[in-house]
Amino acid sequence: MTQLKDLLSVLENVANNPAQVINKCLEEKRLMIGCAPEYCPEEIVYAAGMLPVGLWGGSTSIKNANLYFPAFACSLVQTTLELGMRGVYDRLAGIIVPAHCDHLKCFGQDWKVAVPQVRFIPLAHPINRKLEAAVEYLKSEYFRIKSVLEEIGGKPISDQALSEAIEIYNDHRKTLREFTTIARDYCTTITPSLRHNVIKSGYFMDKLEHTQLVNSLIRELKKAPPEEWQGKKVILTGIMAEPNEILDMFEDYGLAVAADDLAQESRQFRTDVPQGKDPLEGLARYWSCMEGCSLLYDPQKNRRFMLKTMAEESRADGVVACIMKFCEMEEFDYPIYKKTLEEAKIPLLYLELDLVTPSLEQVRTRIQSFAEMISRKR
Amino acid sequence: MITAGVDIGSTSSKVVVLEEGEKILSKVIIPVGAGSSGPARAFEQSIREVNLSREDIKRVIATGYGRNTFTGADQQITEITCHARGVYELVPGVKTIIDIGGQDAKAIGIGKGGTVSNFIMNDKCAAGTGRFLEVMSRILEINIEDLADLAASAKNEISISNTCTVFAESEVISQLSTGTAREDVAAGIVQSVVGRVAGLVKRIGVQSEVVMTGGVCLNWMIIKVMEKELDVPVIASPMAQLTGALGAALLAFESAS
Ligand code: SF4
Repeated sequence: MTQLKDLLSVLENVANNPAQVINKCLEEKRLMIGCAPEYCPEEIVYAAGMLPVGLWGGSTSIKNANLYFPAFACSLVQTTLELGMRGVYDRLAGIIVPAHCDHLKCFGQDWKVAVPQVRFIPLAHPINRKLEAAVEYLKSEYFRIKSVLEEIGGKPISDQALSEAIEIYNDHRKTLREFTTIARDYCTTITPSLRHNVIKSGYFMDKLEHTQLVNSLIRELKKAPPEEWQGKKVILTGIMAEPNEILDMFEDYGLAVAADDLAQESRQFRTDVPQGKDPLEGLARYWSCMEGCSLLYDPQKNRRFMLKTMAEESRADGVVACIMKFCEMEEFDYPIYKKTLEEAKIPLLYLELDLVTPSLEQVRTRIQSFAEMISRKR
Repeated sequence: MITAGVDIGSTSSKVVVLEEGEKILSKVIIPVGAGSSGPARAFEQSIREVNLSREDIKRVIATGYGRNTFTGADQQITEITCHARGVYELVPGVKTIIDIGGQDAKAIGIGKGGTVSNFIMNDKCAAGTGRFLEVMSRILEINIEDLADLAASAKNEISISNTCTVFAESEVISQLSTGTAREDVAAGIVQSVVGRVAGLVKRIGVQSEVVMTGGVCLNWMIIKVMEKELDVPVIASPMAQLTGALGAALLAFESAS
């Protein structure tokens, strides 16, 4: 039990105080590369011997970023730029910025000017991702990023290092998949915010170390029999479920997380990078293999069926759409899966989230009402 | 058994004291809400009126925006669940509730036994809330209670934006300064609130019977225009802004027995 508590507090501490881990990295003279939301080829950074650091904004007020962003940009890009402009990321040797949405496109351009001290490394994913040409194109993008990282690190990145990084990352993905499945049976110990922190801590740690810690956590959890859960269980879908207070509210009203479909969480690890002779091609092909995210072009809109199946398989009592305010990508998908879930009689809550002005009491009323609604239903 | 429901809204505090989940012993409304002395005063008054003390009340449920700050409650339940329970008691055939409160508006779908089947809230802007009517009445220099009668006498209703209270306010001022009749402006104000809230209701699906709660349901013009907009009859909750407190008192009775 103490071992379990210790492991959880280590991971929670990392998630809440990434600076400590980063400082350790600096002491070890290991270079760090920021990875902006939502999908970056972290494996290339890792293969270069550097530490990829996930940048997912934070709860802060905007004082500088509004020089570049209008008020209707999502708070994820606004707060990340704000923190960048305040010098919080100055120790990074560079930042990879994908261009998944209009806000990220602007973010990358703004970064170049607003935070010139942290080198901007752009990345444009192909939209028509199922074509062979798309794999070819993305491979060339990754090749360019690899060259930039080689230049920053002052040494070449071998195919072997890339293959090893992919293996380490796939192993990490497998471990997190196992954790999220096990967590479902231990809802009292693994509260919604602990579950989130266990996953989030991985953005600031060497994946090898994180995998070891999470594996130990799984082993410790399994020592006790599955816990009985009197409350209800929900699925979280969207980009991310922050600010942190939100997840505490789930706990307050007896809601556990049965599974998630969040870009910051399961979407990162539910698919493995295909392994083969050419590691860069494997990484590029990964983008064509992923499914069920608002940022992935999918004319069939399969996310709606994935969510329905996920809710049924995990025996969830409802789905909570965590919609980042002004995130058009998620807003476009919402009516589509809303219809499917309504037809399947799966309750759905629309929760608009904002890292800058979170309106927590209004969010609380929605979460509590939803909890009351699904509790009184059965 | 005696139970009580305390509904702490943004602009008023409401209390209902109930005997055996049936008989209303007292009901009190004090026109100040969350963050003020209103909730405590309303509660004290409601029990004093019937010569009771806190010990006589088996269970107290607090609801409304300020529910978590009221220390005298045994439990907190949201106004969505409480309105559903309250309206179901008064109008058992209810399928849709429209609750226009002081600072937000809600549409609630009702399932079997008065349970909530779906809900949607607007709390991003004062447009489409009681606050909007208050601001506009002030510009028209009338009491909010007189807005309905003034709007009813309109001859050429004008259109007023329903997306932002601040813009709507300047729109109204410019209409008045160019000589538009006050009653035509008043009708535009009513239409603006109804248009905004009706949009919310349509999103959860309009099913009869439709019941309106909250202080704004006392404005008969809002009810009339809402009926036209939704194309179904709309019933004003017989207990208006006390409906949520009634629901809370009923839920307190049910959970205590
Ligand atoms: S949250 Fe939405 S709008 Fe913001 S960066 Fe991500 S995809 Fe773009």
